[in-house]
Amino acid sequence: MLEAVARVLVWLGLGEILMRLGLVPVPGPVSGLVLLYLDLLRRGHLPEDLGRLADRMLALFGLLFVPAGVGVIAHADVLRAELVPVLAAVIGGTVVTLLATVATLALSHRWVRRGRTDGDRIEEADARA
Amino acid sequence: MPDAHAWARLPEQPALEVGVTVLAFLCAVRLARWSGNNPFLNPTLVAIVIVVALINATGVSYATYLRGAGFIQFLLAPTVVLLAVPLYRQTSLIRASGGLIAAALLVGMPTGVLSAVGIAWALGASQSTLLSIAPKGVTTGIAIGISEAIGGVPALTAVLVISTGIVGAIAGPAIQRWLHVEDDRVTGLAIGIAGHGVGTARALQISEVAGAFAGLGMSLNGVLTGVLLPLAMRVF
Repeated sequence: MLEAVARVLVWLGLGEILMRLGLVPVPGPVSGLVLLYLDLLRRGHLPEDLGRLADRMLALFGLLFVPAGVGVIAHADVLRAELVPVLAAVIGGTVVTLLATVATLALSHRWVRRGRTDGDRIEEADARA
Repeated sequence: MPDAHAWARLPEQPALEVGVTVLAFLCAVRLARWSGNNPFLNPTLVAIVIVVALINATGVSYATYLRGAGFIQFLLAPTVVLLAVPLYRQTSLIRASGGLIAAALLVGMPTGVLSAVGIAWALGASQSTLLSIAPKGVTTGIAIGISEAIGGVPALTAVLVISTGIVGAIAGPAIQRWLHVEDDRVTGLAIGIAGHGVGTARALQISEVAGAFAGLGMSLNGVLTGVLLPLAMRVF
């Protein structure tokens, strides 16, 4: 298990260093994610301990956002002063983004499926002819 | 019997803040399960409400709380790295879904930034609030960096990011049912792009495919926004 922890921390640390050197414009954890993914692709298999560690930690993912969320009390004055625009942007913006993304993908899906069924029909017609 | 001074130093003991946060989340998870996973009883949201109530009741400052609870926040970075694991497990499906992923980002990323900033601007938000809102759809670590780069208030951005994730976690599955989305790749991508890590935590409960695609949407959206938003701000 310690090996899995070390592997994660090494890629995370490298990601942090890459960002501070200005070599990549993304934060350390994201570089670390990409580096670990490439590491797994290169090895061609997932070490059992690493899989177990990921399942355990990702089950607690929601807990890790609590401390930052509690920061709401430190900004109560700004939030109270601009409550309506902020709430509308957070709720409205997020729902609009979800709807736009899902609708686009559903449409492209239907389009692809229709293309495929048309193709099948043409093949069937060809076969009959 | 310890003196009053010893009691006053109790909040300096990280075990207390970590313990309170873990217990609050445990209660929140129990409550969510007891309610049959009522979307409005999102565990992250409920835990935040409990901790805020406790802090307000005891008069501890947020800075003091964070000094202890920072130990929990530290785990966020390695856990984001661990999202590589569900991604790796779904590698073949991801390879076969390039078009879907590209379409989701092409629509989701600009919609996420522009809809939020547009709504807040139309309702008269101040300049610094607008800049703090712009990166709100991106995962915490990246959003704070963007906010700093474009002149927002990073700590305010962090709060808006969490709120956005909670809305994504609540609304995502509702929209999935409402629009009868049967493809978990679509649900995952949308939740990850609109609701980053908190949304991904919810998507992981739907299925591993939804979780992996949410993690993918979150990461790609984070990287793209992190690169493009500061560039766009420099141009305008």
